[in-house]
Amino acid sequence: MLSMNSKGNKIMEKILDEYLTKFEKYLKPIAVSERMDIVKEMKSEIQELQNNGISAEQIIERLGNPKELAKSYLGDLLSKESGFSWNRFLTICAFYSLVGFSGMVVIPCLAMIAPIFIVFGIVAPILGAVKMIDYAFNLHLSYVANIQIVLGGITELNPIVEFIATLVIGIFFYYVGHSAWKMLVSYCKKVSKTKNKLSI
Amino acid sequence: MSIEDWKSQIKRGTLEFCILLMIKQKPSYGYEIISTLEKYPIIAAKENTIYPLLRRLLKEEYISSSWQESIEGLPPRKYYSITNKGQEYLSMMFVEWNHLLNVVNELKGE
Repeated sequence: MLSMNSKGNKIMEKILDEYLTKFEKYLKPIAVSERMDIVKEMKSEIQELQNNGISAEQIIERLGNPKELAKSYLGDLLSKESGFSWNRFLTICAFYSLVGFSGMVVIPCLAMIAPIFIVFGIVAPILGAVKMIDYAFNLHLSYVANIQIVLGGITELNPIVEFIATLVIGIFFYYVGHSAWKMLVSYCKKVSKTKNKLSI
Repeated sequence: MSIEDWKSQIKRGTLEFCILLMIKQKPSYGYEIISTLEKYPIIAAKENTIYPLLRRLLKEEYISSSWQESIEGLPPRKYYSITNKGQEYLSMMFVEWNHLLNVVNELKGE
């Protein structure tokens, strides 16, 4: 009878040892020294329960699945990670690299294109108009002769044609300058919006 | 919402308070804490709740711990005792607790 009992005890011990081994395995994300302490404490708890006449089966039932028990310890760790996680860190790095590189090209280009093209778009038709008026009324103002479209070899165009050409080109340039400005604004807005979304 | 849901919310909200009160009375270990809590169903909780909670209180430095190695066949026990920071925290909780009781009494119209 006694030998039966001790044999039974051995089986019980084995079941509990296996339980603790599994429990320890699932605690892996926790640092070794702390993990050992947790397992030691759980082992102590199991011994207390045993000393109070609770069977191994009942103990295991009470503690529940070792994975779930380990998870209840990890819950804290996981929620803390939202403060600083590796993923978040990489996302922030990627965001700033992208913004940094694109900003180096996009912002200066657009910022230069926008005003220059707009001014040119306005000035070109005005000059064209001045030349056309000069031609129409035969004013022969000085400097006006300097106003001309140089296109390949053709330098002498009818001032009326020239005016129409400057008007068309002017509208085109103004349009490009205006879109560059709009792109610049939306680029900046998008960056700040994304930045807010990442809550950096 | 059933009364059971409400009770579990009360438990969740007061367990920390109750454990600190117990540890303040005298240093205690996990099994003893769980056994004491089991006497009062409204705050009874199992290992999977109490041990992680104790660990959190330890990290926040509201309690400290020390192992008492096995004596006379008893298993080694990890004793928890309250720290100064824990005392302060507990007294702040006490103020809020009394505040809540007063509010409830006032709303009852007594």
